[in-house]
Amino acid sequence: MSKLPEELLDLLKDTGSVKVVATIDGDGVPHVVFKGSLTTFDDETIVFAEGVESSLSNKNLVRSIWFDKKVAINITKGLISYQIKGFPYKYLITGTIFRQMLDRARERRGPEADIAGVWVIAPDEIRNESPAWRSALAKEERGLFHSHLDLWR
Amino acid sequence: MKLNNELGLDALVEKYSDVPKSVILKLDLQRRGIAFTDATTEETYTPYYRGPAQTAFSGGTKLERPFPGPLLLRDGTSVLASPVKNQFSDPYTIDFVDGKFYVTDKGKRLDEVDFTPRPDFYGKVTSRGVPMESIAWSRPQRLDIIPYRYCHYWDTKDQCKFCAFFTDLKQQKQAAGDNYEKIIHPEDIYETVQEALKEPGRYSQINLTAGTDYSGEVPFDKEVTRYIEVLQAIGRNFRTRRFPSQLIAPAYTKQQVKRLHDETGLSSYCPDIEVWDKELFKWICSGKEKWFGRDYWIKSALDAVEIFGKGNVYTNFVAGVEFAKPQSFTSIEQALDSNFEACEYFAKNGVVYLSLVWTPWKSTALAGQEQPPLEYYVRLIKGLVEIRKHYGLASDNDDFKHCGNHGDSDLERLN
Repeated sequence: MSKLPEELLDLLKDTGSVKVVATIDGDGVPHVVFKGSLTTFDDETIVFAEGVESSLSNKNLVRSIWFDKKVAINITKGLISYQIKGFPYKYLITGTIFRQMLDRARERRGPEADIAGVWVIAPDEIRNESPAWRSALAKEERGLFHSHLDLWR
Repeated sequence: MKLNNELGLDALVEKYSDVPKSVILKLDLQRRGIAFTDATTEETYTPYYRGPAQTAFSGGTKLERPFPGPLLLRDGTSVLASPVKNQFSDPYTIDFVDGKFYVTDKGKRLDEVDFTPRPDFYGKVTSRGVPMESIAWSRPQRLDIIPYRYCHYWDTKDQCKFCAFFTDLKQQKQAAGDNYEKIIHPEDIYETVQEALKEPGRYSQINLTAGTDYSGEVPFDKEVTRYIEVLQAIGRNFRTRRFPSQLIAPAYTKQQVKRLHDETGLSSYCPDIEVWDKELFKWICSGKEKWFGRDYWIKSALDAVEIFGKGNVYTNFVAGVEFAKPQSFTSIEQALDSNFEACEYFAKNGVVYLSLVWTPWKSTALAGQEQPPLEYYVRLIKGLVEIRKHYGLASDNDDFKHCGNHGDSDLERLN
């Protein structure tokens, strides 16, 4: 696995970023949740805590790790935004990273906070979704046909 | 006689595309056993993984190279399997390469795996000087305690024919008294649990089991009283009356079960039926047949539902022992029908009928016997899960993170 881009790493480690995880159920229906715990420890994989085993998101993630389905993650702060598509690689129910994530949950949400496990996602595709970056890219590729004429005056 | 054309892991993953590879692999890891490379043995002896030096198994002797806690697959599935030498004819190998563990089969790398880390309480002693790692053992999310380490079914050679508990895994004899104490003091258990709970997020259940002791004015009274004392001692560690726990024990009378429920914080009871078929039960579990037979064991489980509630009573069976010779079933269909009948009967009465994989350990009466093919286990767990789902039962007391013995409860993660 290769190192994630610096700009994305900054977003991942920033507790002020908005972090969203999208999964699909057995019929392909999407399900989206915010994951404030989402971060990286090794600069290569993405981790986030799961609160309860029975959540729809968790069942979708179990299905994904069992049957090689991808999940999508979006991280945004201000005008910087990234999307990562990847495969659930591990579900941790004990060990060092599990403990670190539990400690963080209790720091953030109080001593009664609990987690069921920690998902580790192996990125497969990373897209810069920042509006300015995508807009510049679109202009470069087919600029004549993708903007309003008033901007051309 | 071959029971079936034996399909391997890859063929079964393709054939049963609705069953995840990790669950089929777990079944086969337990069926065929595991072996460690030297590199794995060394790594599992490092402080992060090192297992307990003293256990009630392997004869209770102090181990120089203790086994680590259960194996962990990538999806979090725990697998209870020990690399006991000279037990398995065709084990999977666990190798350690470039800082990671892998499960391999005949040189082919199948997947990355890990082991349950060593808990903080290992290495500490109670105020009476007893090593805590001889009192309780750690699974990924479960603390196991065995307060009485001798099974009296062995006294009359009526031990369950598949059972290797409290042996050295080589000889057919109980080892307690030679190398370790039979009875653990409740205060040592209280202090060990107290210490174990200092590690945040480490445990979500306490499990008790022991060897059978049928003594008492009413048979089993002495054992029930012992469990009550132990559970009360454990309960002093919690601020709520009831705490997440399971007792795997013999079938008791309704009054005895009620005492366990009313006088302690126990939350789940599990009298193991071991094998459903009437004739096989008599032969394989002759001790249970004597004290007091299959109908009594079934009634005990059903009565316990009135006390502990639907879904809080379990009964395990040793899947595959139906094929033990000479009295065995002769076809896969016969064994599946028998177990599905049992699952249906228990489920409609609120009891979870849960499978675990038979290992013909050398210290058991069935040593060296042939196990059924892997496909039997795949078909079995699929059927069991469907039946329990129909009756609204979940096995979360014995699921992928708590026990490590049940492929069927692993499959329930999507229910």
